[in-house]
Amino acid sequence: MTLGMELRYRWMKDVALPVLLKARERNRRKGSIGESPLGPPLESTRSLKRLMTRHYALARYAEGARPVAWVTSGAPVELLRAFGCYSVYPENHAALCGARRMGPEICTRAEEAGFSRDLCSYARVDLGHALSGLTPVGRLPRPDVLFCTNNICQTILYWFKELSHREGIPLVLFDTPFISVGEGTPEVFDYVAGQIKDAVPALERITGREFREDRFHEVLRSSIRASALWGEVLATMRHRPAPMTVFDAFVHLAPVVSLRGLPSCERYYEGLLAELQERVSRDVAAVPGERHRLMWDNIAIWFALAPLSRLFAEHGCAGVAGTYPNAWAETNHYLDLADPFGSLAKTYALIFLNRGLDYRLGLMEAMGRDYQVDGLVLHSARSCKPYSVGQYDLRRSLAGRLGIKSVVLEGDMTDFRTWSEEQARTRLTAFFESLDG
Amino acid sequence: MGRTAYLQGQKAAGRKVAAVWPARYPAELLWAHGVCPAEVWDPPAGQALAGAHLQSYVCGIVRQGLELLLSGGLTTADILLFPHTCDSIQNLGSLVRDLVHEPRPCLYFYPPRSGRSERAAVYLEAQLRTLSADLTRIAGPLRDGALEGALALGNGRAAALRHMYDLRARGALDASNEEFYGAVRTCEYLWPEDAVLHLEAFMKTHAGRPRRGVPLVLSGVLPAPSDLAQRLDGLSVAVVEDDLLACGRRFARALLPEPGDPWRAMAARLLALPPCSTAGDSVEDRASFLAEQVERTGGRGVLVLALKFCEPELFQIPSLVDAMRGRGIPVLAVETELGNSAPAGMMTRVEAFLESLP
Ligand code: SF4
Repeated sequence: MTLGMELRYRWMKDVALPVLLKARERNRRKGSIGESPLGPPLESTRSLKRLMTRHYALARYAEGARPVAWVTSGAPVELLRAFGCYSVYPENHAALCGARRMGPEICTRAEEAGFSRDLCSYARVDLGHALSGLTPVGRLPRPDVLFCTNNICQTILYWFKELSHREGIPLVLFDTPFISVGEGTPEVFDYVAGQIKDAVPALERITGREFREDRFHEVLRSSIRASALWGEVLATMRHRPAPMTVFDAFVHLAPVVSLRGLPSCERYYEGLLAELQERVSRDVAAVPGERHRLMWDNIAIWFALAPLSRLFAEHGCAGVAGTYPNAWAETNHYLDLADPFGSLAKTYALIFLNRGLDYRLGLMEAMGRDYQVDGLVLHSARSCKPYSVGQYDLRRSLAGRLGIKSVVLEGDMTDFRTWSEEQARTRLTAFFESLDG
Repeated sequence: MGRTAYLQGQKAAGRKVAAVWPARYPAELLWAHGVCPAEVWDPPAGQALAGAHLQSYVCGIVRQGLELLLSGGLTTADILLFPHTCDSIQNLGSLVRDLVHEPRPCLYFYPPRSGRSERAAVYLEAQLRTLSADLTRIAGPLRDGALEGALALGNGRAAALRHMYDLRARGALDASNEEFYGAVRTCEYLWPEDAVLHLEAFMKTHAGRPRRGVPLVLSGVLPAPSDLAQRLDGLSVAVVEDDLLACGRRFARALLPEPGDPWRAMAARLLALPPCSTAGDSVEDRASFLAEQVERTGGRGVLVLALKFCEPELFQIPSLVDAMRGRGIPVLAVETELGNSAPAGMMTRVEAFLESLP
């Protein structure tokens, strides 16, 4: 890290970017959104855009000024932050590429290099980006370290190993054994905690920085608070009518994924929560005339987020709960400053994707009741096996337990080459009509 | 004797039978508890019943294994064991117990992915003890010396496999590819002493000059579709080695010194298996292992069988192919699926590859 790079980074962060972003917002013409079946858009969306644009813009200047880490969504980022690392989330970047409808174009680059079209499209986007540089965010900084946990899937392990091999970047891996039955054993948590401890000297070596316990604790505190705030944000959807929808949640979860442990993340959710609470107090509906309340299972179909959101609203259906957004509010209560490593192990080993389907069923049933859900939409994401395998039976079991109707959408997170908008619309419309009885 | 009749015989002899899904698991521990593992790789099952539970984008091993279970093809099994090999088998194991409500005990085993470290060994050992506690409840406790005995059985079987692979590599086995893999794959269900007898008898019967053919090394998950080995015979391919997950990737190529404590030894044995994508091993290690086999056996190239929807393999194959080429070893990767016959297009590519070999 050089002093020049550090000064450039600070100047961009504190002076240039805030001015540029303000100017951009001023110059952006207000386009008419036309007739919308949706309620008033969330004011906080503007702050979100500012926050995430700044994050990606600043990333370009982080190279050489900060150690840069590429991180998986389920990794204990708190440890990295204690080293002042700049974190980039390839999954978040892939979602962004999906939302901008760049998925197939970038995936193709990976496929041309021999990666099967059947592989996770997040991984293909990331590998395609590594091979071609294609991205909607200008440029991602080259990482100094890859930081990976296989608690969401094994796919991520193969993917990050591949990145590490191709780019010659050190990989710090946390192996979190899958918890098929029960609540996890002391052996599992010891194994994971041991690996997190082992990562400290490894990161000291890679970043050239010393581990500072006080900083680590500060980050942990901030992470606990951000996740708790995110949980409260989601909980506002228990209100009838819901002040936001699961589609909003998909968009607004970006900071808790990517900026967890930073003060900017906490500040953002304080603002969002205040706005939602205010909406609740005035009964402002995200879907005016809300008639049905639905739960969404699996990751978003990023390229179809807006049309799906409108379609739901046109039929008076509000998506009010989602297993995916909930993941970042689910286990952070385990974090404990008195036992940072042991509690990080629990927090990250116990997320629902790392547990048996019985647990997932119980979680979905509880969410269904808490959010007074009367229908379930399951996105069967063809390239995400851990999330999708088992959904057909989850659907049947939930129908029995909650007495709700459901529909399966065959889709993908980012790759729309196998997606049929028309078919999805027909299926959903028939489903919505069946809810009306 | 067929597989089902054999397993019924095992039960009549007082053993329990465990249906075991792929791929790498502590067979020695099951033997020590008097349990005969019967592996479920590519049963000749359709996919009609499984289709109600699994999406079309799930690999054939998972779909056909579930089909076999749902159609009553696993009635001899007392236990189902699901090693954690990939995301799909992980969810299958959970699906079967939690949502299909399989009444028989479902057990799980997680091979660590944190490299071959001391930490991995310690965790592995803890898991072996947990699995043993589960097996004790189902099949009774370990007798004195049972673990040591089972480790010796494992050594015996691995030695027989090494010998057979060695004879083939040295050109001292008069066996077709189909016959060879037919014999190796009986280890998927035979009690280890029977497996050794079977392999030894096979080596005796097939001692002699090798069939002429192009020496190739196979890589991938398993020789699929089921006529693949035969089709390779038809093309005069003489497979000389493999790192197939169902075959050559499941025994160490050399006898390694092991810790005296049997639990430690069992963990060490699992960690000493050849490099594997499912274990999170690096592509460099896998490529080095394959290159070593090519060099040792005089293989003229590597044929990689990329099983459709198999994530661990599909991620590694592009770099594996590059690494082989980088070492000057000709390589061809073809997509395969379970089923009865290799598609014509695939065999045409193999033929063209053979013609291109120097
Ligand atoms: S397989 Fe699923 S959980 Fe894993 S990285 Fe891809 S989208 Fe995420």
